[in-house]
Amino acid sequence: MLLLKLALRTLMRRKSRMILIALLVAFGTFLIIFGTTFSGAAHDVSRRSIIENFTGDFIIYAAKSKEKPSPFAFQTPLPNIPNVPEIERYLDSLPEVAAHTPYAQNYAILQVERNGTRLELPFIFYAVDPTGYRRVFDNAQMTEGSFFGVDGSRSNDVPDPSHGIVISEYQNQQYMKSYGTTLEVGDKLTVLGLTQGGVNAASSKVVGIFDPKYYKNVFNYINFLDIGTYSNLYNFTGVQSLPPNLDRRLNDASTNEAGIFGLASDDSLSSIDLNTLKSQALSGYTMIAVKLTDHSKTAEVMKLVEDKPNLGIRVLGWSEASGYFAQIASGLQTFIYAATGLIFLIVAFIFMNTLIINITERTEEIGTMRAMGAEKSFVRRLFISETLILNLTASVIAMLVALVVIVLVGNNGIPLPDTFSQFLIGGGNLPLQLQIGPFIQAIAVTVVVSILATLYPVRVATSITPLEAMNKR
Amino acid sequence: MNAVELVNVKKHYMLGETRVEALRGVSLQIEKGELLAIAGPSGSGKSTMLNMFGCIDVPSEGIVKVDDVETEHLSDTELTRYRRTKIGFIFQSFNLIPVLNVYENIEFPLLLQRRHSQKEREKTVMHFIEEVGLADRVKNKANELSGGQRQRVAIARALVTQPIIVLADEPTANLDSETGLRIIDLMREINDREKTTFIFSTHDPQIMTHARRIVHVRDGKIVDRVASEAAV
Repeated sequence: MLLLKLALRTLMRRKSRMILIALLVAFGTFLIIFGTTFSGAAHDVSRRSIIENFTGDFIIYAAKSKEKPSPFAFQTPLPNIPNVPEIERYLDSLPEVAAHTPYAQNYAILQVERNGTRLELPFIFYAVDPTGYRRVFDNAQMTEGSFFGVDGSRSNDVPDPSHGIVISEYQNQQYMKSYGTTLEVGDKLTVLGLTQGGVNAASSKVVGIFDPKYYKNVFNYINFLDIGTYSNLYNFTGVQSLPPNLDRRLNDASTNEAGIFGLASDDSLSSIDLNTLKSQALSGYTMIAVKLTDHSKTAEVMKLVEDKPNLGIRVLGWSEASGYFAQIASGLQTFIYAATGLIFLIVAFIFMNTLIINITERTEEIGTMRAMGAEKSFVRRLFISETLILNLTASVIAMLVALVVIVLVGNNGIPLPDTFSQFLIGGGNLPLQLQIGPFIQAIAVTVVVSILATLYPVRVATSITPLEAMNKR
Repeated sequence: MNAVELVNVKKHYMLGETRVEALRGVSLQIEKGELLAIAGPSGSGKSTMLNMFGCIDVPSEGIVKVDDVETEHLSDTELTRYRRTKIGFIFQSFNLIPVLNVYENIEFPLLLQRRHSQKEREKTVMHFIEEVGLADRVKNKANELSGGQRQRVAIARALVTQPIIVLADEPTANLDSETGLRIIDLMREINDREKTTFIFSTHDPQIMTHARRIVHVRDGKIVDRVASEAAV
């Protein structure tokens, strides 16, 4: 009680000086709570947003690839993944895998006729299996047409919507700016792709126009091409299966030599009706995005998949696969920690100096207490009490303010400038969730910093002898 | 029985590069219940002697006994405990704790002792407040009191633990002469009544005559020991 009384009254007596310290401590505390909550929320939302719209939990790519998957690697496409169906079968067998979709990144030229003039428009795209892609990612918000007929909402007027291109609204605006034209749903065009053998061409059409929901700063520039057209364009097409009678005869003949030679005399096998053959994309795919039922098992499943022998693949987690996007939230978190650390370093320094000034001014008082029989531990506890009362009071007030702010912001989230929001969390408001962790952190940091900042001043204070009070004139 | 005893005590310290001989072989015995003045000019060694009596300084040579215990070998903690129980201090600048009121300042040494109930403390504190005539100033802070009143508080604070000796270093130096005399008279009255040993230093001839015995010091040595006129 005596210590508390002395500490409280001393603080009140020196309040003008102490208010500055209290403000700094309060600011630091607020920064810890709000900053940690903000950056934690940004980290969580960013992670969710990237996984949901961008990369899945991890990406599978060819083991022989020299580069890692990146959202911007259109100029240097990754090598094709061998044996995609086998990998997909394996993924299907894993209970942790919720969905997966193969896709490829590439670029091409679109040739369109406008008023008798042929225009060549640059075009970067994801080549996708529309159904699979839509099952994993739902980021393309269709404004016209459909996503290759998968969502079906506006696909009635588009003949054979499963083939074609889906283009972003922003891309169309860029075409207008640079080429004076836009692409409309139903427009016929030729896609020109550059291969090792030269330039290949494939006829196609526009089946949809979309506006990305999230990560506009990436998906505004990315368009979609169906995998069939893509395989055609880059010579990845093969035959899905032989006609059944040929397949059966070949099987039968394979058991003896005479049977093989007997095939030559079979007229029914002398020609194949091409209409009965179904084309198959052998594998133009360069990546497979995998989404899990439980995100906490990402590392475990990644290891499982990568360690599976003979698949010829490697895996890359969502964080790395998103390029620098995941690092923005982590960077922000680091920045907030660093800023908080700096604030508390300044607080500790100012506080230490203020305490030393106080001690110098209170030499007589401390010496008198020591003369009357106060032990060094009493002096030590007195200064630590003063420090803790001041700093914890400031800290608790800041906590209440932070609590009110976080509750008020709540689920509606903090409105962020659009560009910042796009980079940080893919777009939209940032919802904040009240968590106990940052509050505990704030108290712990305040107590630790208070005690550390008091150590040296307390040493000075306890070294004051009663002589200094006795000799004071 | 001696309250304090110095046996051939020497004290020297360095002031920059100069060696200062504060005490040069002082021997002195002060009996319990005495009212003793240590008189001498500035720098004569009065305060150094008081510091030895008060266990807040140790001799370079010689023996200091307080209540028959040699103090030079006691640790800091033991000296602190010794001061807390056996010695009361009255300072020239009063040295009241500024954030505490009159009552709390006087109660402070009792709280440090941690051996009295609140009731006991209240009774003792009020007794000494009345002794020094400040019953109407109980709630006042130090800055609301006159110099004389502050020194009365300091006297009550020094007495409240009922120590063996009360040391007062130039207790009237910051007071006008009339107030100074009243303070010394008060100490004398308490000495009469309670038989508390008072040792005070002064260079004021008028003040020193109120002691029962005067020890004159000069250049770190005792030059004269006389019973004062007041005692006679």
